[in-house]
Amino acid sequence: MRKLFAVVKREYIQRVRSRMFILVTVLGPVVISFFGIAPALIFSIKAGGPVRIAVVDQTGKLYQSLYESVRDNAGTAESTQDPMNANKLNNNASERFQQMGDQQEGRFELEEVPPDGRSLNEIKQELNTRVLAKELDGYLVLPANLLQDGKPEYFGRNTGDVFTRKFLQEALSRAVREQRLAEANIDARIVQQLSAPVQLDAMRVSATGGGVRDSGEGFALVFGAGFIMYLTILMYGQMVLGAVIEEKETRIAEVLFSSVKPFTLMMGKLIGVSLVALSQLAIWGLGFAAFAVFGVGLLAARGVPLHIPNVPAVNFVYFGLFFLLGYFIYSTIYALIGSMVTTAQEGGQLSMPVVLLPLIGFYLFLPVSRSPDSSLAFWVSMFPFFSPMTMLTRIVTQTPPLWQIVLSLLLGFGTVALLTWVAARIYRVGMLMAGKKATIPEVMRWVRQP
Amino acid sequence: MAVAVTMYQTRLAAQQENFDRRSTVVESANKEGPAPSMTNNLPTVSIDHITKSFGDFTAVRDLSLAVYPGRVFGLLGPNGAGKTTTIRMIVNITAPDSGRIEVFGRQINPELQDRIGYLPEERGLYRKMKVGDQLKFFAALKNVDGKEADQRVDRWLARLKLTEWKNRKSSELSKGMQQKVQFTTAIIHEPDLLILDEPFSGLDPVNVEVLKEIILEQRAAGKTIILSTHQMELAEKICDDICLINRSRKVLEGSIREVKRAFSRNAVALRLEGGDHVLADRSLVNKIERHSDGVEVLLAEGARAHDLLKQLIAAGAKIERFEMIEPSLNNIFIEKVSEAE
Repeated sequence: MRKLFAVVKREYIQRVRSRMFILVTVLGPVVISFFGIAPALIFSIKAGGPVRIAVVDQTGKLYQSLYESVRDNAGTAESTQDPMNANKLNNNASERFQQMGDQQEGRFELEEVPPDGRSLNEIKQELNTRVLAKELDGYLVLPANLLQDGKPEYFGRNTGDVFTRKFLQEALSRAVREQRLAEANIDARIVQQLSAPVQLDAMRVSATGGGVRDSGEGFALVFGAGFIMYLTILMYGQMVLGAVIEEKETRIAEVLFSSVKPFTLMMGKLIGVSLVALSQLAIWGLGFAAFAVFGVGLLAARGVPLHIPNVPAVNFVYFGLFFLLGYFIYSTIYALIGSMVTTAQEGGQLSMPVVLLPLIGFYLFLPVSRSPDSSLAFWVSMFPFFSPMTMLTRIVTQTPPLWQIVLSLLLGFGTVALLTWVAARIYRVGMLMAGKKATIPEVMRWVRQP
Repeated sequence: MAVAVTMYQTRLAAQQENFDRRSTVVESANKEGPAPSMTNNLPTVSIDHITKSFGDFTAVRDLSLAVYPGRVFGLLGPNGAGKTTTIRMIVNITAPDSGRIEVFGRQINPELQDRIGYLPEERGLYRKMKVGDQLKFFAALKNVDGKEADQRVDRWLARLKLTEWKNRKSSELSKGMQQKVQFTTAIIHEPDLLILDEPFSGLDPVNVEVLKEIILEQRAAGKTIILSTHQMELAEKICDDICLINRSRKVLEGSIREVKRAFSRNAVALRLEGGDHVLADRSLVNKIERHSDGVEVLLAEGARAHDLLKQLIAAGAKIERFEMIEPSLNNIFIEKVSEAE
């Protein structure tokens, strides 16, 4: 036990004291928020002045409502968001993308081109000249039968500008619809009222009776936990790998093995690096919490209504446990890889498939949340490599019996212990065969060797 | 082993008349152990017919030996002979396929590891760790920590003239200094059994002396030292007992004195004026080799150096040097190893 402590202490102190750790701790959030904000900043850059568009209105009555539509900049009010959208991350990304576009919409200048008895071709020729002379960015031709089934056309220098195209299309749709409604003598406002969408409230039926409103925070938390888990594995798995290879590269292993059992050494390394990871996460977490509390207080003081997530406290305990499980499962795989290879480069190559494994667990989220009591859900939530994510999903959707949760945890941590043991064996024998990369049959033999 | 002993006996039989004490060499190859008279009779390490194979390759074959406290035991042999494998089994890094190893009278186990200090040939330090912290870490792995560890770190750093390097990272140290730190990691917990694999490689003569001094000090304190080295001159000076391993087998064992006597070619080195007719006497002298610095004489069968000296004095020769030549450990090593090829 004392030796285990010595190993843990060394791993922890050496890493926490290192310049790298301090740098990452301080700069991590800065870098992450930079990458969070940078796309938004970049997208919002609009070089040049407003987009100037001429409109050839052959209907003779649409220009005014189109002008208003553009001016009012109603934007994407119609595009409804599907809250159950499978890929929330991508969804968020595309949402952000859209908003970027929206910001530009105020920057349009329209001008009407009166026909003045000229033919369409003459007008187009004149406008083409103006577009090429860069007096205009493009022009719209609204055919006379647009209100029935005609198709408007856009001619521009830069047709690759999807924002402009999309925006014009939406503005035109609105204008045309309003015009159609007006011609049919229907008040546009009444239509709006009548077509208001409904909100579906999900209530969770619990044994204690009474529906508990579930507004999806559970999902958000599972996603959050899964996401943080994945990031943590990516960030610290490599550190575990490095820690395991360190003694091989520095040739200290033999001295260590004359003092301490390989299992103790391996366990000490895992725990030491994990404490480093947890320390870093805790620092960030506390920083974020302080920031959030401060921010929330500020918002509350200004009278902004706030919504406190409605999640049972016990779920947070489960989050903690399964987060640790997920972290340890994958760290041990990294340790296992580290025990087989001789250099960090080799380890990096071998760890590629490992990075993909937790992603599968991540994607299993969807089928499991759809039918949390199916046999698929049961088995994947017992399988140690997927259980952290899938069991959490089951807990927030339709909490399984306690024995299943406990069994899943036991299987998971049992696997961690087993993998550590195997890694320790491979490590010891591999060290004695110094300088040689192991083949799989060799590794199998090493595990059995006394 | 049986083969080795037989070779011995053939050799010894040829020289039977010249030496009376050679029989102890044969004995030492058996159970009794080499000249245990100075200390108690319980061996620190006792290896009993161990064999270890890796796949098809047998690294150690049916090896038995005993190492006694208060003595320096030289484990010698060419590269790949099985020395390191043997040591790894003694320190419980690997287990023998068959046979038994006892250390301090007990089957080797993890608790006993704390009483063993091991400096492997493959050794390193944590590059980015301070020397002092590093030594404390290794001490903690041997269950020595707290104040006691601090004191020992300071004491040993002072002893090896490394005090000013205590707070430096080991990557800043020269190779020789690193070597000394590595040596310290093996001795910081003051082990009863110290196993050193090539401890002198990379050290300058001054530091070789420092290390030698420490080893002899440990011996005087009743500790047991196993030394594996290729530097035969040093082994000759430090070791009390040796065991020569070649091709996974033991080929020679005994105290240095005995081994050397057994290999003595009954030769005398001389530097003198006159007495030429004595040297020409075939009943006394078998062969003469002349060197720039005198002559080397191989005595005839049955002749004794003592008689030669008497005759020379009687003949009025002026003798500057008269010395029985013993073969160096180096020569014995080469002879035994090439014999097998």
